[in-house]
Amino acid sequence: MMVKTYLLEILTAVAILAFIAIFLYTSSTMEGAEFAGSDNVGSGLIAELSGKDPESFAPLIPQWEPPSGEIESCLFALQAAIGGIFVGGVFGYWLGQRKSMSDAKVNR
Amino acid sequence: MHIMEGFLPWQWCIVWWLIAIPCLALGVWQLKKIIHADREALPLLGVTGGFIFILSSLKLPSVTGSCSHPTGTGLSAICFGPWITSVICAIVLLFQSLFLAHGGLSVLGANIVSMGIVGPVIGYAVYRLLKNTSVNIYLTVFLATALADMFTYATTSLELALAYPAEVGGFGTSFILFMGIFAVTQVPLAIVEGIVLALVFKYIIALKPDILIRLKIFSEAQITTARGDA
Repeated sequence: MMVKTYLLEILTAVAILAFIAIFLYTSSTMEGAEFAGSDNVGSGLIAELSGKDPESFAPLIPQWEPPSGEIESCLFALQAAIGGIFVGGVFGYWLGQRKSMSDAKVNR
Repeated sequence: MHIMEGFLPWQWCIVWWLIAIPCLALGVWQLKKIIHADREALPLLGVTGGFIFILSSLKLPSVTGSCSHPTGTGLSAICFGPWITSVICAIVLLFQSLFLAHGGLSVLGANIVSMGIVGPVIGYAVYRLLKNTSVNIYLTVFLATALADMFTYATTSLELALAYPAEVGGFGTSFILFMGIFAVTQVPLAIVEGIVLALVFKYIIALKPDILIRLKIFSEAQITTARGDA
């Protein structure tokens, strides 16, 4: 019964653990794995296919770039935080709504 | 799945923008309609949109030795259809092109088409196909979200292969090469994303089943069964 109730939770935990295990395995055995973004790997292939130097691809529309990896990760964290606020806020709102509804039933 | 600024010829930028704009317009119109029709739909939009923000900021390592991020678009596509999802994706992608140099303004159209249109359309199609069958709700959510993720990356590969056909073998060869980079990296991420979002859907069902029934996302009987068995 416990297993059936929490089947999805168990599956999620197994999937995440398997994901971490695969990462630890590939990162220790794979030669030359840099774990760069696939966007950059893709751009490398574009340069290869078009026979141009990767440096020669200039932005068509001028673009601001985060000056360092720290600032980039700060902005990514900000993006995730905005999403987290929405998700947490709404789940809390629904929980409160359900609670006040069941309270109202008891009082009646 | 971002095509980087400057890496797509301007002719293709225009083509993808022309496809993206009508979908976004339709999405904005639907969004206005749903906000006026049902205020209680807004929190659900907050949750599904919030997960697009969170998941698309997580760059995860994969078996190919490179990193990529999930999209999170499937859940929103199931609840609100593909066009409203396009609008949320456009906001995320605009944020990333303005502040993170991931993607850019000229390639934004192409990136909206892959993450905001093709992915959600596939996710929504899978959901509609399985909705009225005996397939378990959570399996439906898993398949819709995982395939929305996979097809986003397949679309990026398609967009790049169209712009950069290989000298030998042309489009087909290029497409396979780009799929090798984008799609293969994405397989494990898409599977984990599907499972996680199925779990999220379980919590939405547990907390607010009535909104799912009212928006006709799943029928009352299906929701009751799902609450009983998982």
